Amino acid sequence: MDQTISIALGLSPLVVVGVGALLLMLVEAFSKQRTGMAMGAAVVLFTAAVFATSLWLLGMENVEGVQSVAPWLILDRFTLFFDVLLCLGGGISALLAGGYLAEHHIERGEFYALLLFATFGAMMLAAAGDALTLFLGLETMSIGAYALTAFRRASPRAAEGALKYFLLGSFAAAILIYGFALLYGATGHTDLAGIGAAARGAHARTPLLIVGASLVLVGLAFKVSAVPFHMWTPDAYEGAPTPATTFMAVAVKAGAFAMLLRVLVLSLGDDAWRSWAAGWPPVVATLAALTMTVANLVAGRQESVKRMLAYSSIAHAGYALVGVTAIMREPTEATASVLYYLLAYTVSTAGAFGSLILCGSHGREAVSYDDLSGIGKRHPAVALAFSLFLVSLAGVPPTAGFFGKWYVFKSAIDAGLYWLAILGFVNSVIGAYYYLRVLVYMYMREPAAGAPVAVPMRSTYVTTALVVSAVLVLALGLAPTRSLDAASTAAIFGSAG
Amino acid sequence: MSTAHTPPAPAQPDAPARFGTDHLVYVFLVAIFAWVAARFFDGGVPVVAAGLVAALVPRQHGRGVRIPLAIIAGLLALFVVRMWPEAEDAPFHPGGAESRHLLSWIVGLPIGGAAVVLLLPREATGALKGFTLTLMLATLALTIPLLAVPMGRGYHFDQDVVWLARFGIHYHVAVDGISLWLVLLTVFITPIAAYASFGSIEARMKDWCFSLLLLEAGMLGSFVALDLFLFYVFWELMLIPMYVMIGVWGGTNRIRSAIKFFLYTMFGSVLMLAAILYIAYQYAQASGGQPSFDYFELQRLMIPRHVQVWLWAAFTLAFIIKVPMFPVHTWLPDAHTEAPTAGSVILAAVMLKMGTYGYLRYSLGLFPEAATEFGTNLAGVAVLGGIVYAALCAWRQEDVKRLIAYSSVAHLGYVMLGIFALTQASLEGSVLQMVNHGISTGMLFLLFGVIYDRRHTRHIDAFGGLAKPMPVYATLFVVATLASVGLPGTNGFVGEFMVITGTFASNKLGHFNGLQAVGAAVGVILGAVYMLMVVQKMFFGPVVKKENRRLPDLTGRELLSLAPLAMMVFVIGLFPNVLLSQVKGAVTRVRNDYDARLDKNPAPRYYEGPIKLTPLRPEAPAAVAAAALQAQAAQAPGEGH
Repeated sequence: MDQTISIALGLSPLVVVGVGALLLMLVEAFSKQRTGMAMGAAVVLFTAAVFATSLWLLGMENVEGVQSVAPWLILDRFTLFFDVLLCLGGGISALLAGGYLAEHHIERGEFYALLLFATFGAMMLAAAGDALTLFLGLETMSIGAYALTAFRRASPRAAEGALKYFLLGSFAAAILIYGFALLYGATGHTDLAGIGAAARGAHARTPLLIVGASLVLVGLAFKVSAVPFHMWTPDAYEGAPTPATTFMAVAVKAGAFAMLLRVLVLSLGDDAWRSWAAGWPPVVATLAALTMTVANLVAGRQESVKRMLAYSSIAHAGYALVGVTAIMREPTEATASVLYYLLAYTVSTAGAFGSLILCGSHGREAVSYDDLSGIGKRHPAVALAFSLFLVSLAGVPPTAGFFGKWYVFKSAIDAGLYWLAILGFVNSVIGAYYYLRVLVYMYMREPAAGAPVAVPMRSTYVTTALVVSAVLVLALGLAPTRSLDAASTAAIFGSAG
Repeated sequence: MSTAHTPPAPAQPDAPARFGTDHLVYVFLVAIFAWVAARFFDGGVPVVAAGLVAALVPRQHGRGVRIPLAIIAGLLALFVVRMWPEAEDAPFHPGGAESRHLLSWIVGLPIGGAAVVLLLPREATGALKGFTLTLMLATLALTIPLLAVPMGRGYHFDQDVVWLARFGIHYHVAVDGISLWLVLLTVFITPIAAYASFGSIEARMKDWCFSLLLLEAGMLGSFVALDLFLFYVFWELMLIPMYVMIGVWGGTNRIRSAIKFFLYTMFGSVLMLAAILYIAYQYAQASGGQPSFDYFELQRLMIPRHVQVWLWAAFTLAFIIKVPMFPVHTWLPDAHTEAPTAGSVILAAVMLKMGTYGYLRYSLGLFPEAATEFGTNLAGVAVLGGIVYAALCAWRQEDVKRLIAYSSVAHLGYVMLGIFALTQASLEGSVLQMVNHGISTGMLFLLFGVIYDRRHTRHIDAFGGLAKPMPVYATLFVVATLASVGLPGTNGFVGEFMVITGTFASNKLGHFNGLQAVGAAVGVILGAVYMLMVVQKMFFGPVVKKENRRLPDLTGRELLSLAPLAMMVFVIGLFPNVLLSQVKGAVTRVRNDYDARLDKNPAPRYYEGPIKLTPLRPEAPAAVAAAALQAQAAQAPGEGH
């Protein structure tokens, strides 16, 4: 086979999404047709996921010449896992948008093009093996996300959220790029593995290197919205239209975690950097502990369900960071746990936001707890779906969320991080409190007399998205063997380097 | 034959036009039943029992009550006859091998039923009720083969399937003499509670049936699981349906109680999950490879003190919250008070046993050294904080449901005391008392539900002189009270007596075992004081309140749900051997395992050194399956890391 074709095959998920985004933009410009855009975006994303799955089954190592794009793009199973994950998250968000935007009369085609571009950026981020491509992917993803946040142009809330997001995101990107610049100064490399090779050993620990690594970590913490770098998240999540929130909570976060894992394993992955005494684990552990605890405590005090879910997504980033900390002892196993966690989190969170979308309709979006009063009685199917996703987020068996949490905490215990694991368990009890509160309102409260009640919308798009998520939540909870194996296969990268 | 027990015709036939056919069907059914009983089973006794009960049913009830009750009485008599320890007859299925899938069917039937309930239309309440009840009775029928096997010391109906190979998680279920009775208690109580609830609950029948079935499956699963991971899954599965039951169908303050219940239990169980993960990890270290969550495998771990104490504490906290023991019992009165009647019944009768059973099986079975060291102190807590303090609390309650809830705390104090004392008699008494408490407290809650449906108040002063308008109700309430107090001849007596005598003889309770036994005996007196006070205030004396003067007595549905429990009170009270003969072997095994483990270690009685595995006991059912695994582990270099 011609090498070019074979490289194109290796890059096919990226190509499909990129070309799809351009095509969708053209369609938007030249066609009067609006209704099919969501379908188009979803088809593009799911096609890309199918391409990635085929490549997975074929085995990347059987595709000739894909190594030649390294270190710019690393095409391995880690990338493919994230491709599937991101396309899944993006696809569900696109389906949700199909129902939501039409219902609220803000259907404009550029939403889908932006969504696809942002997904493209996230996929590139997952594949990036060099600071340069990493930054390109990051900016592509972020700019798409900024625009999606501000999509509801007339709303001051959206503008406020988007501006905060944009400013803080730009700062974070600047800090990150500054960190990489310092790392380049210290090591003479921009590719992650090269930095890793040069940063190995105690003699390489120049102040420049340490400051650079710290700045990079801060930038990454911003992007995964770890406490105390999370301030932008609730406002951006609340201001954005809910499908965009879903996308940010799911795909943007997964992309950020892909970046974090790549950098920590490839560049800062040798024994000294991974040691508790002289490396990053105490820093990440502190971030994880703070993120879980603060986010859970604050989430319990929210009066808006959407804002509660925003804080809950921060808390879940904390749980995932527990798994990231565990890389200190068993890199592969811990990475696998983070990957699986992200998968479980993606389907549960997308489903939860989707259910929230489904609970409201034009002019009466379901936002606060009171809006959900009595939904369980009036619209049992919606309430049941919502409960399933919340139960999964709370980590109750037999759902995907339970296995995700279980696996992450297991790797923390295996790594000897008992205090962190116990803190995580205690946090999941706090988390259960506010997830259950939604159930309380849905099933056990009646709306106040005379208060306008939220009427669930009807949309095939949203229903499809929810069915897909619900099936995945249950499947990942009852028969997780396949996906667990996939996560552990995907987690093998760079540990030799 | 049928003439022997055909009762006099009911006084008021409701519809003369249907009288003829009804009567024919009645005679026909009784004849068939009598024939089957005489032909296949031990003839006389069940038939006489059935006839007696049919004749005892108050006159105002029609055949719809009389026939089922007669059948239930006959079956219970049959149960006693067949389960009598010296019975030399062949078992139900002569020569039949133990089915490997039976337990999975028992657990799976309610889960499958819950899924089907979701598909039934919301409006078809009749179909929903019928379906749920049929399914529960089918589950009950499925458990009958469990009785055909003499339990002895071993585990039976063992099924072990790999679920997640990577983590050594298995789907492993089995019953022994201890869990057998708890499984039976569950399948016995749940249909009764469901049937009773169908009379009083009208709103959202579909959700109610769904919760009931899921709850039953969760409880059954936790009792039969022998893989710690599987146990945890079922343990959590119970939580949500009960939470919904309290929160949706409960009293005025229900939401707060539901959340309190959920958070207390969840807090305990997540720490237990952490301990489960840790112990599996240690197993992987010790065996040099595969982790395992299997109960028998984990029992082989020798764990030094500084680790074992924490693991034991994490497990025990989860269990004593569930029991509940002082000082973490505060969720229980709230939950009971606000829960609907059926919720209270299931909570008291079955779910609380999850704590005592869990302690007996897991805390004691996996960490015997730590259980010995701290069991002494906890026994003191069980006596002072449980038996005595809870009894005093119960005495002061104005709210009848709250009072019964506190009496639960006191009764489960006996169960825990018996487990801590760890003698043959006290352990057997504890297991028996678990079943007894399920029956008598379940019955009390059910009885109180009857009056609550009529008066909608829980305040004790709202009643008085009820024996006059409601004689049958008063009789059954007195029966339940006496069972709860522990009058000889009722079930409560046997269990409490065995626990107290066992405590006297115990050498596990330090210097104070005598004192603790005395404390427990004082608790019996206190129990009599507060329970009889309730009976006196509610039923005797003049009818003070005008509303109480014309209260109708038990309806057919209420009688039908209460009578089986009343029969069980006497069945266990008069023939405790029927249960104890199956329990004995399992209790002996628990004690032998425990002694063998403690004898292995020197004077301070803790194993010292790195965590390691003891050789597999040959009689463990997992031995065969694990032999291959052990061979692999032997090839792996070195045990101690």
